[in-house]
Amino acid sequence: MSRDPRLAVREVSKTFGSVRALDAVSLDVRAGEVTCLLGDNGAGKTTLIKILSGVYGATDGEIRLDGASLQLSSPREALAQGITTVYQDLAIAPLMSVWRNFFLGSEPLKGRGPFRRLDPVRCESIAREELARLGVRIEDAHQPAGTLSGGERQSLAIARALHRGGRLLVLDEPTAALGVRQTKVLLRTILEVSQEDVGVILVTHNPHHAFPVGDHFVVLRRGQVIIDRAKDELSQEVLVQLMAGEDLAAGPGGPALSS
Amino acid sequence: MTLRPPALLWLLGLAACGSPGEQRDDVGAKDRGDTTARAETPRIVLVTHGQSADPFWSVVATGAREAGGELGIRVEYQAPGTFNMVEMSQLIEAVVASRPEGLAISIPDGDALAPAIRAAAAAGIPIVSINSGARVFRDLGLSAHIGQPERDAGFAAGRRMAEAGVTRALCVNHEVGNLALDSRCEGLEDGLREAGGSALVLAVDLADPEDAQQRVRGALAREPGIDGVLTLGPAGAVPALAAVAMLRASGGLDTPLELATFDLSMPVLEAIREGAMSFAVDQQPYLQGYLAVVLLHKAIQIGAVPDGVIRTGPAFVTGDNAAEVIRLVGRGVR
Amino acid sequence: METEPAAARSPRARRLLARPELAAALGAAVLWIFFTIQAGEPFLSRAGTAAYLNAAAPLGILAVAVSLLMIGGEFDLSVGSIIGASGMSVMLLTTHFGWPLWPALAATVGLCLSIGYLNGIIVVRTGLPSFIVTLGMLFTVRGLTIAISRGLSGRTQLGGLDGSTGYESARFLFASSPLPPFRISVIWWIGLTVAATWALNRTRYGNWIFGSGGQAETARNLGVPVNRVKIGLFMGTAVAASLVGIIQAVQFNGADTLRGTLQEFWAITAVVIGGTLLKGGYGSAVGAALGALIFGLVRQGIVMIGVNADWFQVALGTLLIAAVLFNNQVRRLVEQRR
Repeated sequence: MSRDPRLAVREVSKTFGSVRALDAVSLDVRAGEVTCLLGDNGAGKTTLIKILSGVYGATDGEIRLDGASLQLSSPREALAQGITTVYQDLAIAPLMSVWRNFFLGSEPLKGRGPFRRLDPVRCESIAREELARLGVRIEDAHQPAGTLSGGERQSLAIARALHRGGRLLVLDEPTAALGVRQTKVLLRTILEVSQEDVGVILVTHNPHHAFPVGDHFVVLRRGQVIIDRAKDELSQEVLVQLMAGEDLAAGPGGPALSS
Repeated sequence: MTLRPPALLWLLGLAACGSPGEQRDDVGAKDRGDTTARAETPRIVLVTHGQSADPFWSVVATGAREAGGELGIRVEYQAPGTFNMVEMSQLIEAVVASRPEGLAISIPDGDALAPAIRAAAAAGIPIVSINSGARVFRDLGLSAHIGQPERDAGFAAGRRMAEAGVTRALCVNHEVGNLALDSRCEGLEDGLREAGGSALVLAVDLADPEDAQQRVRGALAREPGIDGVLTLGPAGAVPALAAVAMLRASGGLDTPLELATFDLSMPVLEAIREGAMSFAVDQQPYLQGYLAVVLLHKAIQIGAVPDGVIRTGPAFVTGDNAAEVIRLVGRGVR
Repeated sequence: METEPAAARSPRARRLLARPELAAALGAAVLWIFFTIQAGEPFLSRAGTAAYLNAAAPLGILAVAVSLLMIGGEFDLSVGSIIGASGMSVMLLTTHFGWPLWPALAATVGLCLSIGYLNGIIVVRTGLPSFIVTLGMLFTVRGLTIAISRGLSGRTQLGGLDGSTGYESARFLFASSPLPPFRISVIWWIGLTVAATWALNRTRYGNWIFGSGGQAETARNLGVPVNRVKIGLFMGTAVAASLVGIIQAVQFNGADTLRGTLQEFWAITAVVIGGTLLKGGYGSAVGAALGALIFGLVRQGIVMIGVNADWFQVALGTLLIAAVLFNNQVRRLVEQRR
């Protein structure tokens, strides 16, 4: 490893009262790679995500972003640091146009003084181009974002994050409510994104969606990391088995499941 | 793209909505679309500050309409939904734009209505004022006012009360700030003071009759030596009657009390007939509507308008004539 | 690589039909035709046109500000009471305390801005629905207006503003008729509509308003100062109400404590007729202006054709439902393509 990972999570724990949601979790996320975070409900994926997106603070442990220690006090700060978390429904205002959604909070202005204004024509074409770069083609970025399908909306949120210079992209169960065709669109977007200088964390409980796009797989159970393997150390069937909780039979790499 | 047919039809349906003729508040109407009839039948509009559903104003409207029927004039009645000078001013503006042959208005607030009235006069429409505005109609350029000079009416009521032995009266005002009503109380005070008595004003809000009743009870209990109560309208009379009855029943009031009111209504007249109330001051609203149309008729025809205040009151309804008046109220003409 | 897709209907045309103001514009046109047919020449005359424009203007000023707030996702039920407070504030400061008119106007605007600020800060800090917060403010402001007026002057209606210094210049700015019989309030209305539309569609702040109404949490995370935006919008509705109160006090040479009653209700009606959604995030200031125009047309139109003014509420209610239904159908039609 010639340089710092984009995100370094070191021995991070989180307790809520007497419940230990995360227990000394460590993992690395590299830029240009898709790290899949897998596990069943209650495994601690959501908690880790919320810590990364600034909703919770960790009880113990350290997080470093590009080598610098990260202390987040709010989601807004997480965003300012370049960490974008894309949830399923909340990211896009359906009644606003695509370009308005794209530029929300970072609207480019032209002109001077009190007459500084938006440039809808330019904004529309930039938004459309950025979406096309991720494989989503739309006719007109003036149309309401609600006319986009679920997968396209998430792609819009991703495109927005990239445009703002995101460093880390966290996708929380992006395929959970999508149909087959939309899932394909989204996974293609994720593949495009992985070409950029961005670290991607894909949170999912579906190994069949994770395997085609992931470079690196981390499985959580009951707040602990039980599997941490690169793609070439796994196959899709093995991943499914591991997630189903079958004991590690023979197999190279990764920490053994502690009993 | 075609607009979905039902929606478009709906809108056109609204547009084609039946002639509003049936809904108009007038008599002797020809079809509005017939412009020749329009030119022949003069149109007089009354714009007042009280809704035509209000029993008092419905008598005014009846008087106006009956005069219209007798003289072959189309009469309309417009009023805002509540006592609202902004709305009334807008109504006057719209009525003036519709170019009536004559206009009769009440003037509860000369300041507020001045611009609208002056604009109406500038448009060349003959105008008379009715009911309120005896003090200001001249300043606004009008020559005739038909109504009851409020202060004088209050004075007369005060004198009558003094003659009945009242030394201190409560004036229950349900619209403080309405100049006409304020004047009534002032007149009452003058009338009593002349006989060595006094009066005080109690403000009530008739939107809540329960509350009004409590206020009257409270005032009667609180203030020393009140032996007369005057309310300024039938809507105020009812709570006052109830308050007095309740106090008498509970023993909170054992001294004689003269109860009187301005203007008529069935409960008021019953109370007078039974003796619970001594008298009512009647401004004869029928005449206000009727005479307004009569005057405007001649103003339209030959340009002649009398000068000054034509007094339609005070007329007094007492135990003597209550029965007769009740009969006429049943006909809607008093 | 981008190629321009050939659409069955041009996106521009579709966009035009999807505009929120469409229903209101058509409604206003239909009503105008209706009244022209029914009332004839008097309706078309200058006096007739002025009658409905002058009547629409105060509501229009209010509705434009309320539309921005509703697009931003909040309601303000206190604007009517602020109109009343504004008028009485001007009257009390001048006739009771003897202030010259312009300082009284400035203090009144300041007072109303504080009420708006209070509305905003309570809503963003407590997270309570603005419907409830401003409803409480409605009663508080109206009650205080009545109580303070009676307490200081013994009256609920005050007149004689023309006696104060500065009245002439104020009259010129707020109550004159530079092009008689059209009042200057119509110019205020049009000017504010233009400014609001420009702010909404062409500035960053406008995008923030849409975002705060459409998806506040996300907007906040993206760096939009949602709380500040909302507080600003509440102050906007308050200052608009203050302006209406001032215009009416100067025009009618006085004020009363009940002025402005129910105006919040009419304002919301006009805004909804104009295509703004109750849930926020979508709407138009021009639509609200058209909604106010419809209000004026109906109100004055039915008087001009001789119908009892009672029918005004029936007419407006019917129109409201028709406008919303029509708006809905068009929008669905436009989005159906997907």
